[in-house]
Amino acid sequence: MAAVLKVFEAIGRRTAKGFDEWGFGAALLAESVMWVFVGRYYRQPVRFSHTFAEMMRFGIAALPIAILLSATIGLMLAIQSLYSLGLFGAQNFAYIGIALSVTREFSPLIMGILIAGRSGSAIAARLATMTINQEVDALQVMGINPVRFLVAPMLIALVIMLPCLAMLANLVSIGAAALYVSASLDTSLGSYIYNTLQILKTDDVWHGIIKSSFFGLLIGLIGVMNGAGVSGGAEGVGRVTTRSVVQAITAIVVSDMVIGYLSTH
Amino acid sequence: MAVAAAEPETIWKPTVEELASRPIVIEVDHLDWSFGARQVLFNVSMKVHEGEIMVIMGGSGSGKTTLLRHLVGLMPPVANKVKLLGQDIGSLKALEKLELRRKIGVAFQFGALFSSMNVAENVKLPLRELAHLDEKTMDIMARLKLEVVNMSGFGHLMPAELSGGMVKRASIARAIVMDPKLLFLDEPSSGLDPVVSSALDDLILRLREAMGISVVVVTHDVESAFKIGDRITVLDRGHILACEPPDQIRVNSNERVQNLINRRSEHVEVDPEEYLRRLAGD
Ligand SMILES: Nc1ncnc2c1ncn2[C@@H]1O[C@H](COP(=O)(O)OP(=O)(O)OP(=O)(O)O)[C@@H](O)[C@H]1O
Ligand SMILES: [Mg+2]
Repeated sequence: MAAVLKVFEAIGRRTAKGFDEWGFGAALLAESVMWVFVGRYYRQPVRFSHTFAEMMRFGIAALPIAILLSATIGLMLAIQSLYSLGLFGAQNFAYIGIALSVTREFSPLIMGILIAGRSGSAIAARLATMTINQEVDALQVMGINPVRFLVAPMLIALVIMLPCLAMLANLVSIGAAALYVSASLDTSLGSYIYNTLQILKTDDVWHGIIKSSFFGLLIGLIGVMNGAGVSGGAEGVGRVTTRSVVQAITAIVVSDMVIGYLSTH
Repeated sequence: MAVAAAEPETIWKPTVEELASRPIVIEVDHLDWSFGARQVLFNVSMKVHEGEIMVIMGGSGSGKTTLLRHLVGLMPPVANKVKLLGQDIGSLKALEKLELRRKIGVAFQFGALFSSMNVAENVKLPLRELAHLDEKTMDIMARLKLEVVNMSGFGHLMPAELSGGMVKRASIARAIVMDPKLLFLDEPSSGLDPVVSSALDDLILRLREAMGISVVVVTHDVESAFKIGDRITVLDRGHILACEPPDQIRVNSNERVQNLINRRSEHVEVDPEEYLRRLAGD
């Protein structure tokens, strides 16, 4: 009996901690949004230059790997579609599945996971190091709000850059798939593209874009929450970095599934 | 040390009576503080007058940094415990707090320089974010403050390229760049050679002389404490043992106070069980 109670107690404590963390995340988000709008009034605007620097770091610097990944995904989908549709002799319809799954699912998801690994970890590590070195304290005593100075630019950058990357991934993936399919079926590239544009609705593209913005926000908040909650020196930095990547990827995949379900029912 | 002693003491120091007649700028009122179950500050009260240099001394782990963090508002706010410049920092609104913070400068025990910026940018940061000056003016002001701490010519270095003492001095330059009314220094002279450390003492005295700045200095350096302190607060395991001018501290009858200022080894007196537990790592 006591053991059972202990289990429940442990679950209860974990749940409470989870809610605490989400509360913290929500507060961070609210504060960031607030600084964007009232920063000028407090004479502490969210700096465009900082935001721009983060956009370069999170988005532009990730271009090569983003292009490589999305081209690979496009090829992989093309290969798979031709194979499975070939079983019914329906290869000519491969473009439908590729177009929809790339724009609605693969681009946001793969870019989300890429940025979670690449930038989510960097955010957590940076914030954790700054917390341990008391750089965050130093900001605070100077009267420079750390959320305004550090967090808001990162969140804005992610919310803007992830959709951009997803958009690019759409083009690259579909382009790569088009090349492969048209070469394999010996049809024209132009007709593949034409068919794809016919089948794709703006809604599908928007769905992916908005979703990736949301993923960007998740990555940023989870990175910041973990980084700011660091304890225990250099080892702690490693721990929160790993944790933030795992949590961000989990959050992305799970919310992607939920969004996918809700948006198709 | 001989260098420091040989220099003539020319820097003006106000008398105790004169200071006592001035307005109070820092006030701590019966402050208790615990980290979890471990209480580290017991009923601490303290008043600092305008233009006064208050030294806080005490063994390692006696709660000096914790007290300082309360003073600068880095601990969870509690109403009516700490007043800076007449304002209760426990009940200030966000905007008022930002305003107040422009008037205080803090140099942390381990510097807390921003590792992603070079020294000059570190010093300029408060100006850039809070003062809205043009780049040239900020450059000049940063260079001036770096000169004050004997760091001119090192502005382009990154914090990782500095020695421990240089980090300390750069962080002091950053703390005074906004010409604060209150200055808080956590062990400014640890890790500095005697000459630089004595120069730092002079610097603190000069800042007070020139700008009427009030200073709270945490230090282990007895000599420096006696040189710069108008009063010395002795903190022992979270309790204030004494808060007196240097000449009275010297003749204070409390044995622990005497141990501390005569550098007799009292704080090595470690609870063996606690020691073993620490070795075991929890
Ligand atoms: N964040 C914290 N969490 C838990 N305990 C803490 C924390 N910070 C300090 N302490 C404890 O509080 C006590 C006082 O620490 P503090 O840093 O104020 O000492 P100090 O007088 O500044 O020492 P030193 O001269 O070594 O810097 C110590 O026993 C320390 O273990
Ligand atoms: Mg300390």
